[in-house]
This record gives sequence, C-alpha cells and structure tokens, in this order.
Amino acid sequence: MTAPLIVEDRETDSVDDLSRPWKVLVWDDPINLMSYVAFVFRKLFGFSEEKAHRLMMEVHTEGKAVVSSGPKEKAEMDVFRLHEHGLWATMEHDS
Amino acid sequence: MSHPSWPFLAAEEGVEVNLGDQEQEVLENLLVDLRHLLMSDSHDSLRRLKPPAHPDNEEAEAAYREMVDDDMLRARLELLDVVEAGIGGATLDEGDVAAWMQCLNMMRLILGERLELDGADLEAHELPEGPATFLYEWTGELLEFLVRAASAPSR
Repeated sequence: MTAPLIVEDRETDSVDDLSRPWKVLVWDDPINLMSYVAFVFRKLFGFSEEKAHRLMMEVHTEGKAVVSSGPKEKAEMDVFRLHEHGLWATMEHDS
Repeated sequence: MSHPSWPFLAAEEGVEVNLGDQEQEVLENLLVDLRHLLMSDSHDSLRRLKPPAHPDNEEAEAAYREMVDDDMLRARLELLDVVEAGIGGATLDEGDVAAWMQCLNMMRLILGERLELDGADLEAHELPEGPATFLYEWTGELLEFLVRAASAPSR
C-alpha cells in the first residue's frame, strides 16, 4: 500500500490558525494628516511621542507599518478603533 | 503658545473652540451634508470611511462588516452631535476632542474622495480649484490646529 502524498489534517490546521497571532497594519492614505496619524497612534496605543512619530513616518515612507499584534479579538478591536478614526487598517496572520 | 484668532485654543481644562461666525456657518453646513451621507450609507464618497479589514478574504471581510458596521454608524452619528453642540464655543474634554478630530477627518476623507485625490496630486500640490478644494484644505487646517491645541504641553 502506498501512503498518500498529501495528508489533509483540517482539524490541526484550524487549531493552528486560531493560535497564530495576528498583526494590525496601517496603510498610507495621503489624505490623512501626518500629525493626526501620530496623535491617533499615541491615543489608541499609548505610544510615546517618539514611537508614534516613527511609526507614522514608516507609514508615510514605506506605505505601511505594523502597529499592534495579538489574538484575533484584540486585532479586530484595534482595526475597528483605527477605522473609527478614519485610518486605513487591515489585519493578517503574523507569520 | 496660541493666538486669540486661532480656531482652537489650548486651555487648562481642555481645548477651547474659537470659531468665527462664518466658520461656524460653514462647519454647520458640512455637518448637515455629512449626516445625510452617513445615513445614506452607500454613497461612493464614503469609500475611504470603510476601508477593508481583510482585503484578501471576502468571507472574513463580510463577517467583519456585519460585526462593526451598525456600531460604527451609530458612533459616527454621535460624534456629529458632539461637534454640533460645541460649534458656537465650548471647552472640549478629551472625549470631545476625539469626536471633533474624527469628524473633521471624516469630512476630509469624503472631500478627498470627491476630488479623487491621490498621493501624486498631493505631492505635487496639484489640487483642482473650486469650493471642494477650499473646504478640503480648510478642514485640514482646522484639524491641524486641533491636534496642536490638544498636544500643547500646558495641558
């Protein structure tokens, strides 16, 4: 008997999926003022002025920056709060 | 440091709204437009207010929208009430400041979408002439002043 080449283990995959952390990214929207973006980072995440400015500049120059990470529920809440403030945020698995 | 003619002034207890009569009128009109647009919930110019959380996963995106859209709309309409109440002059606490900022930013995002602005336009400072551009730049100035007043070290 030949062993199958691909073994599907959906249960394991889904457990892995649930336990893998998520990261929240903010993308550059040129309409958002730089000072406002940095202010929102400080307010929502409690970042220092220096860290908020650095991440804002990363968004501006690199097009995106990771601003938080954690379990799915936390990532979803962070994305929601960023969307409330008009920032372009997405979430994805942290590889 | 602040100047008596600035639209927002840092104060010990928060931020003071200091808009002139004409500014108040323009902002009131923008609030009326914004409320209509938010209630319609489907206008193209709202696109930037609803960015996808899961751009590469339709199913996850649909679940996210289902989860947040009603709350988001309700919260945004409440922000407009806060701004409306303070236009004639008020001292804004931290929550009020956040409401004003989000509201001014929403106006900019909608105006920018209407003007079809992209990064290249803004880098080159090539904005079309007209009332929408004036309002886009003016709401940007207001937001900038508000961020400065809210960040003032004396507070």
